[in-house]
Amino acid sequence: MKEIIKIENLNKTYDTGAIQVHALRGINLTIHEGEYVAIMGQSGSGKSTLMNILGCMDRQFSGTYELDGISIAQQSENQLSAIRNQKIGFVFQAFQLIPRTSALKNVEIPMIYAGMKADARKAKAAALLEKVGLGQRIHHMPNELSGGQKQRVAIARALANDPAIILADEPTGNLDTKASYEIMEFFTNLNKEGATVVVVTHEEEIAAYTDRIIRFQDGQIISDKKVVKGSC
Amino acid sequence: MLIFENIRLALSSIRANKMRSFLTMLGMIIGISSVIAIVSLGDTMRSVVANEYKNVGLGLAYMYINPPDDTYGDNTYFTTADAEKLKEAMGDDLAYVGFNQSLRKDMTVGRRTKTLYVSGLAENPTAMKNLKIIYGRMLSDKDFQEKRHHIVLQKETAEGFFGDANAVGKTVKVKLNEDQEEFLVVGVYENQDSALMKALQGGSMEFAYIPESLMVTEDSYNWSLYFVVSDVNQMDSMKSRVTAYMARMKNLQPEYIVMSSASEEMGMIDSMLGSLSAVVGAIAAISLVVGGIGIMNIMLVSVTERTREIGIRKALGARTRDILTQFLIEAAMISAAGGLIGTILGISVVAIGGMLFGITTVVKPQVIVIAVAFSAMVGLGFGLYPARKAAKADPVIALRYE
Repeated sequence: MKEIIKIENLNKTYDTGAIQVHALRGINLTIHEGEYVAIMGQSGSGKSTLMNILGCMDRQFSGTYELDGISIAQQSENQLSAIRNQKIGFVFQAFQLIPRTSALKNVEIPMIYAGMKADARKAKAAALLEKVGLGQRIHHMPNELSGGQKQRVAIARALANDPAIILADEPTGNLDTKASYEIMEFFTNLNKEGATVVVVTHEEEIAAYTDRIIRFQDGQIISDKKVVKGSC
Repeated sequence: MLIFENIRLALSSIRANKMRSFLTMLGMIIGISSVIAIVSLGDTMRSVVANEYKNVGLGLAYMYINPPDDTYGDNTYFTTADAEKLKEAMGDDLAYVGFNQSLRKDMTVGRRTKTLYVSGLAENPTAMKNLKIIYGRMLSDKDFQEKRHHIVLQKETAEGFFGDANAVGKTVKVKLNEDQEEFLVVGVYENQDSALMKALQGGSMEFAYIPESLMVTEDSYNWSLYFVVSDVNQMDSMKSRVTAYMARMKNLQPEYIVMSSASEEMGMIDSMLGSLSAVVGAIAAISLVVGGIGIMNIMLVSVTERTREIGIRKALGARTRDILTQFLIEAAMISAAGGLIGTILGISVVAIGGMLFGITTVVKPQVIVIAVAFSAMVGLGFGLYPARKAAKADPVIALRYE
């Protein structure tokens, strides 16, 4: 299988002046195409720091990180923007939809920055919203949608440029149980269709949807196990 | 990113904060409209002056003698004989020679007396004063030569005394010297000065015209002598010819004869009005800078408010220059919209003012182009700092911004 993420000896230190915080200590991690991975850990364990690096929003680290064969540390600011745009689909805990902007327009944003023609991206955005079950609500504003619906708009947006990987940072953190399960089932289906999905969470029930659980503590990986699916 | 997308984004952001956008624009609106109004007022005044001189005739010039060390004598004044000689010597090259006497005099009809200006006109009077005669006729050369007591009244004067503009054939009494002299009204004219020109001249002055031979006698000494050249293009050569002739006749050095023409005067007034409106316009332009600071202020607020939006856009692939363009275009659009509204307001103010004064106003297109271009530049200039601030935002931090 193709390696989507390949991390070797990754270290990250926050220098706050008075004290140095060693957020990540010598991480080695490989995620292959088509995997469904959960990254777990308490807050402060370094999983958010890892997520920012995986998402190419932070390249102040030592060690190597290759995303889909591209060495991230050597990329310029503009190249990183293009990589985020083309290779990564983000889903955030706080949804991060742009306010006063319709669901359709929100889904269009990554395609606008990709330079897609207006007609093509409108059609694709509508199709993606249809796929996440919001075909009737494409012109709704974010404040007119429930939490689960907002997160589905965010997933549609994450899929806009057919990314190599979907990075979901606590995607169910702001949702009730029922909506949480719906979203996770959605990720499961995407994975079955072939998408590579990485979910950061601190909830065991959420992690249980995935095939592989990586546990973090004090900036280090303490376990990396395949999930043995029960007969449920 | 496409410029069209940015314009659409800017429009929706301006719409989302209508009141704030309007107040921000207000600075530009006031600045641009006052610059346009002031500069157009200056241009209008210049065109009014130019028109006025067109009526008077740019062929008009006058001379006076400025002797060295103030040694005034018989040869430093002009007499009617001098005027006659000059006319004969120059022949058809001069259309008019006269003293341009204009004095405040009392005019009486029956028991009513009114003070007005009585002006003298010499031979070929239309070359000097092209009056619009509505009843009767203009003064004639014979009126001048035979010193007839004929008079041409202004329409308002005729109406005031006789209740009717057509006063031809009526008589008025004018106290030219010690005694009242009777004059026969031969014509009535209509004043064609613009309302602005009348205002500049200090209210409604009425003028009546009589043969100058009645006002300037053979034994009077006059400070200045006026003439009108037949061909305006020959003004310069005529000035030197007249100067040379007068110097010879008066036995004076030519440099003691001071000559001034209407076109010179007009040029002076024109450049004075031009620099005046430039200075006042520049002062008004300061308000544009104030407007620009208003835009910068509100853009900084907007960037702070939309930190999260900037973070989202960056996470989704916006490059630094995409964010920069987005906020720059927003600032330029607020500014240009303010400039456009200001332009319309400024032109309206000028047009309404022109209608009130009954004058044709002048709004030069280049003034509008400069004003709008300047306002967009102010927007870009003052929008640059907030836009750079937005563009430099770190997406990790911006996404966490509450």
